[in-house]
Amino acid sequence: MSGGGPPRKRNFKIEAFKHRVELDPKYAERTWKVLEHAIHEIYNHNASGLSFEELYRSAYNMVLHKYGEKLYNGLESTLTWRLKEISKSIEAAQGGLFLAELNAKWMDHNKALQMIRDILMYMDRTYVPTSHRTPVHELGLNLWRDHIIHHSMIHGRLLDTLLDLIHRERMGEVINRGLMRSITKMLMDLGPAVYQDDFEKPYLEVSASFYSGESQEFIECCDCGNYLKKAERRLNEEMERVSHYLDAGSEAKITSVVEKEMIANHMHRLVHMENSGLVNMLIDDKYEDLGRMYTLFRRVPDGLSTIRDMMTSYLRETGKQLVTDPERLKDPVEFVQCLLNEKDKHDKIISVAFGNDKTFQNALNSSFEFFINLNNRSPEFISLYVDDKLRKGLKGATEEDVEGILDKVMMLFRYLQEKDVFEKYYKQHLAKRLLSAKTVSDDAERSMIVKLKTECGYQFTSKLEGMFTDMKTSQDTMQDFYAKKSEELGDGPTLDVHILTTGSWPTQPSPPCTLPPEILVVCEKFRAYYLGTHSGRRLTWQTNMGTADIKATFGKGQKHELNVSTYQMCVLMLFNSNDGYTYKDIEQATEIPATDLKRCLQSLACVKGKNVLRKEPMSKDISEDDTFYFNDKFTSKLVKVKIGTVVAQKESEPEKQETRQRVEEDRKPQIEAAIVRIMKSRRVLDHNSIVAEVTKQLQARFLPNPVIIKKRIESLIEREFLERDKADRKLYRYLA
Amino acid sequence: MTGKGEAAAQHREEEEDGEMVGVVKLISAEGFEFVIDKKAAMVSNTLRNMLTSPGGFAESRDNEVRFPEISTAILEKICQYFYWSLHYASGKETAEFPIEPEITLELMMAANYLDT
Repeated sequence: MSGGGPPRKRNFKIEAFKHRVELDPKYAERTWKVLEHAIHEIYNHNASGLSFEELYRSAYNMVLHKYGEKLYNGLESTLTWRLKEISKSIEAAQGGLFLAELNAKWMDHNKALQMIRDILMYMDRTYVPTSHRTPVHELGLNLWRDHIIHHSMIHGRLLDTLLDLIHRERMGEVINRGLMRSITKMLMDLGPAVYQDDFEKPYLEVSASFYSGESQEFIECCDCGNYLKKAERRLNEEMERVSHYLDAGSEAKITSVVEKEMIANHMHRLVHMENSGLVNMLIDDKYEDLGRMYTLFRRVPDGLSTIRDMMTSYLRETGKQLVTDPERLKDPVEFVQCLLNEKDKHDKIISVAFGNDKTFQNALNSSFEFFINLNNRSPEFISLYVDDKLRKGLKGATEEDVEGILDKVMMLFRYLQEKDVFEKYYKQHLAKRLLSAKTVSDDAERSMIVKLKTECGYQFTSKLEGMFTDMKTSQDTMQDFYAKKSEELGDGPTLDVHILTTGSWPTQPSPPCTLPPEILVVCEKFRAYYLGTHSGRRLTWQTNMGTADIKATFGKGQKHELNVSTYQMCVLMLFNSNDGYTYKDIEQATEIPATDLKRCLQSLACVKGKNVLRKEPMSKDISEDDTFYFNDKFTSKLVKVKIGTVVAQKESEPEKQETRQRVEEDRKPQIEAAIVRIMKSRRVLDHNSIVAEVTKQLQARFLPNPVIIKKRIESLIEREFLERDKADRKLYRYLA
Repeated sequence: MTGKGEAAAQHREEEEDGEMVGVVKLISAEGFEFVIDKKAAMVSNTLRNMLTSPGGFAESRDNEVRFPEISTAILEKICQYFYWSLHYASGKETAEFPIEPEITLELMMAANYLDT
């Protein structure tokens, strides 16, 4: 017993009723009149007296008695007639009442249609599907569309009214949104095609021209930030409008119109706008404006890449200026701090305004990589920065602060192409720190090594770690030495030896100076002790790297403890036996290399407050004709006086050349090793592939120059590791 | 009525916004009156439309429907079916709905008319 039974069943019934039809031939006409009357009454709001059952039964019987077509056609023509009447009354509505009248009539029609559909339900269920007619409700909508919406006197007027209202709202007027909503909903009810063709398309066109004009006006008179604010507001307004009274499907379309007209069309001009464009926003940290630009530009194709490209070129430009500014190069610590600040600033912009966009981070990284490597002193300076921090900068800083700073440095380190140069400098600086016991925190030192290790692997830091091991063993050795030999040593000066493994330390062979006899005695004892416990080793004194604490008594009997370098100690010890020496005398007695001697004399005689020696004639520089005297009048508030050597913190030009040369030398075996590794597995390879592979293998440490790679290949051919292919000269073969 | 059926009906009642509350009078061709719950009458789509269609037809105003073409016997059977359907339509319980062979045709016609 359910709705539409199988057709077979119905056939039976129709068979049974055939006889009744013949009984009353006028039945159909009479029944239709009843229904027609009812439809008119419904439209006249007069339905309350009608019996639903009677009407339904009438329609039911008409359909059963095969008058379905008559019923359907009658309905269609009645509806059409009513709608023509309705259209007249809508046409007659004046001005602002037009929409209201249309809406009221639409409501009526809808309600009437529902009632008619209900009483004709049986026809909808049986006649309509079998004879492929349009269901009643849909028929009513179609007729409304054809006779009202598409009526020549209504169609254009409706569209104009709607567009005019929207325009007025854009200009700030308050309009009846409820009515707008009803009307657009009506258009949607009539089918998406009606909404789109009769309203949405023209609406989008009008909007496009409106925003094209408005954006032109804005861009002429607003700065970039204000323009973006206005564009954002317009965009939000349009979205709000859609949510209030348009179909949700319009949102994407209208926003794309606004995006295109207000953003995409003016994108480049906005970014480049003088005094307020992207660059100024970046400089002034305008997070809000930048964030707005990001979210707006993201909506349009190529929007973000426009920002990104501009940012990249700006970063490269300013970065280039920064790293090539000769003023900046004077202070390496300041230089690196500048880079770090710059990085922090833009990191913050990307995280606050650009939503941590990966592509922006990449752009930032590649920009830094680009300009940091423009200056070949960057590796040295970064190492100097770490040196500065680990010497004194980190005093009082918490562990997290230290980690933070080191992490930032590692970030810069990652940008370096010549990581091996950094290693070289880092080793030098670390050696100085360790030997002069200047390092603030052992933990910080080790943490830095661990970071380098994770970044570049064991090989990179093995020597650095070796240095730490040496320091530790030296300590143990010295303890043992004094434990065993203390009575033998007596009251002589205390010796503290660091035993440095050759190769791990950046030592340069330098001829030892002549040590004062007191020291020499202890040294010899230590040598005997050390070689006694470790046979087969060779000890060389690195007098250029040591320090000494000596006590001195001055003219008025005041005593000071002087902290000096080994060289300075040798010089000062001379004054125990004589009050004055010429430069030549000192040079002869100590055998200190000339450049080092000059530096050490300069720091002893020419630094105010630390001038334990007096020089004649007085001048800033040391010349070979000078004579030096013990400065009896030396005074100082401090008991302990630290006399630093005048060492240029950063390398001088010749030193730099030297380091560079050493780096180049070190690279040769690395390149050769890489070539051999590659050839061993490939056997045969052409020149360009080798260069590419070698570059790839070594890029974690440095960027090898193709010319040098070529030279290394030639050298390997000479040494018969490789040979050229007989047929193809561009191919190399590996010779096992 | 068992608890389950009632709960389901109550749930539907809320959805229909009170239109299901109350009773409706069905009158047969012979003038016999059946008073049944509205929610039982709603089993028939025709009756549902009749009672809920907007515009105030006489039926929904008076809560009274006349069936000049349905005999008392059939209408009674139909009312029984409404309650049977209300109870068992959920499928959780099943029971036969007995139909006497002699009224089958008439009952079928009425069912078609009532869209049940």
